[in-house]
Amino acid sequence: MRVAIRQLDEEFLPHVAAVTTGSTVEFPNEDLVFHNVFSLSSAATFDLGRYPQHASKSRVFKKSGIVKVFCHLHSHMSAIVRVFDHPYFTTPGTDGRFEIDGLEPGRHEVVAWHERVGESTLSLVVAANETTDANFALPLRDDK
Amino acid sequence: MTDAAPTRPAPRLVVWIAGVGFALIAGVLGIVFVLLSWQAQSRLTGTVVEGLEVSQRRFADLERRRARERGLQAVALSESPTLKAALDTYLTEGAQGPAPAGLLATVREEATKLADLMAVPALALVDEDGSVLASAGPLASDWPTGARLPWLGVPEAKEIATARGERWYLASVVPLLLAGETIGTFLLASPLDDAYARAIAASAGADVIIVRDGRLIASGGPSSIAALSAVALPVAGSVFVKGDEWVVRRLSAVDSVAIYAVSAVASAAAATTSGMTRVILLVGAIGLLLAGGASWWLARTLARPIDELTAALARMVETRDLHQPLPRRGVSREMDALAATFDTLRLAVSQAEADSEAAYLGVVEALAAALDARDPYTAGHSQRVAEFSVLIGRHMGLSETDCETLRLGALLHDIGKIGISDAVLRKPGRLTDEEFDHIKLHPVLGARILRPLAFLAPHLPVVELHHERPDGRGYPHGLKGDAIPVFARIVHVTDAFDAITTARAYRPARSASEAMAELWRHVGTDFDPGVVQAMAAVWDSDLIQSAGERPAGATWLRPPSVGTLPFRARSGAPLPEVVG
Repeated sequence: MRVAIRQLDEEFLPHVAAVTTGSTVEFPNEDLVFHNVFSLSSAATFDLGRYPQHASKSRVFKKSGIVKVFCHLHSHMSAIVRVFDHPYFTTPGTDGRFEIDGLEPGRHEVVAWHERVGESTLSLVVAANETTDANFALPLRDDK
Repeated sequence: MTDAAPTRPAPRLVVWIAGVGFALIAGVLGIVFVLLSWQAQSRLTGTVVEGLEVSQRRFADLERRRARERGLQAVALSESPTLKAALDTYLTEGAQGPAPAGLLATVREEATKLADLMAVPALALVDEDGSVLASAGPLASDWPTGARLPWLGVPEAKEIATARGERWYLASVVPLLLAGETIGTFLLASPLDDAYARAIAASAGADVIIVRDGRLIASGGPSSIAALSAVALPVAGSVFVKGDEWVVRRLSAVDSVAIYAVSAVASAAAATTSGMTRVILLVGAIGLLLAGGASWWLARTLARPIDELTAALARMVETRDLHQPLPRRGVSREMDALAATFDTLRLAVSQAEADSEAAYLGVVEALAAALDARDPYTAGHSQRVAEFSVLIGRHMGLSETDCETLRLGALLHDIGKIGISDAVLRKPGRLTDEEFDHIKLHPVLGARILRPLAFLAPHLPVVELHHERPDGRGYPHGLKGDAIPVFARIVHVTDAFDAITTARAYRPARSASEAMAELWRHVGTDFDPGVVQAMAAVWDSDLIQSAGERPAGATWLRPPSVGTLPFRARSGAPLPEVVG
């Protein structure tokens, strides 16, 4: 799959992207200023260097894990690319709803992850041709 | 008991005046000195306070700027993308499992790089649990990895003071934020040591101490200011430590650590007043010198006339000479008035003395006259002896005063005969030895009669010794030659001369020439040669009536129209010159 994380108004958009291994992530610069994309994560250590507006660079993520992406020029910018070795994942919408299709019937463990909360896991049984609800509460600590 | 009063003599007037004058001026100078010193001291205290307040304001500005700069520096350093990325990645992956050591190494490397670049004493990265993840800088050993800093709870930028190891630190703390998330704390620390205090002192222009709960943390200034840490220091005011006043202003306080600017009033005052003190002392010394001189001069001016007057009075008492007027210096009206009063007194005393002498003399002369009158043969004898003696004395060069003494002595020479009975005195025939011995008592008797009259003391030798002879065969003492006073020698000769030339019951009077011959015959044995020679000269000088025929009781002297007299001048009145 191919995903784009834009650099706009000194922010990575979206802040979190989820891809399968072997996917390519594009980092187009849509700001007037130069940006840089680098990562120190063990799943993918790279530095795409600086580039100006309208330029774009990309990276293929071959290893599953959490990749934290930063900009050398703007210390407040960060993004997260989660790389999975299976296709059963999604990112919820702003309303918090999510849906994962195509699961085999049977017992499954569902893991919800938020960068500020970490992981929480639910175990559930999915019947054939049926939709099963999974509700997560991810309480964010009050950071003022 | 006034009798028991100490015998120590009263101090001299000079000492009094000089002492009081000196003390007065010294006192005035002392008061001026104290007042000036006090004024200078209070003015200096004001100056010191003002200086400290200026320091305080200046320092407050500096400190605010410095704290802000350190905060900004901390923020800037904490915004290092590599540091944050490495830390965040490390934390993220640490949450998943064992964190790779490479990430932490990157964090520390980045921290060291930043510390070197900005030349900070110490910086530290602290995780959300309050443990030091990484530290760097020359003093990083006070902030070792793993050290827990439990006081860093609230993630906000602030200044803190804390002790690490042996040191106290002033630290700027900023949270490390990433995407709205606090991922740790960044800390930039400066040690609160003497160098720091000295740097503050240099910029504040005052001595500086850093204290916490009565304990000295660091000082910038002389070691004596350490004593101030032991007392409670006001935010602004003054304290007394060991008797010295210190003006104190608090420059800043972080947590319980306070930085004070202090200044000793005394040392500031000493530096400024020492010059003034020198000037005042110099002026004082000159003033005292002048005061001493002026007092001395004044005292002498006042006291010397008194001393002179006293001396003149003492001299007057000693010599019994009341005729010299007392000195008038014209220095002060009071002294001249005093001298004039003494003069008046002197004249009165002199007059009284002269009057009393005259009264006594009158009595004595009356006695002599009464004596002469007892015996017709001796009528006028004393008077003639007196007159003749004076002529001889004057010829021998005696002063007029001596001549007067001689005259009165001669007049009284036989006064002792008052005590001799008429039977002996007026016996017509020759005297027996016993009678003669009785007669010979009269010089001693005369001296005894006159001795109580003090003013006749000079005349006593004439009365007592007028029968002594140069060969020592006279009476009453048998004195010889020069041992006999000249007045007595003169009267001895004139007495004999008058006796020879006066008729007695048992013999007629002999002539003056015969008498002179008689005198010459016994010169050297009975009569003094000098006196006899003088008598002869007087005889030749034509002052004496020649050829001897004189009526009984008459004088030997020529009548006044021709020659001399009167001899009856009293002491004190000038004697007239002898004419011819």
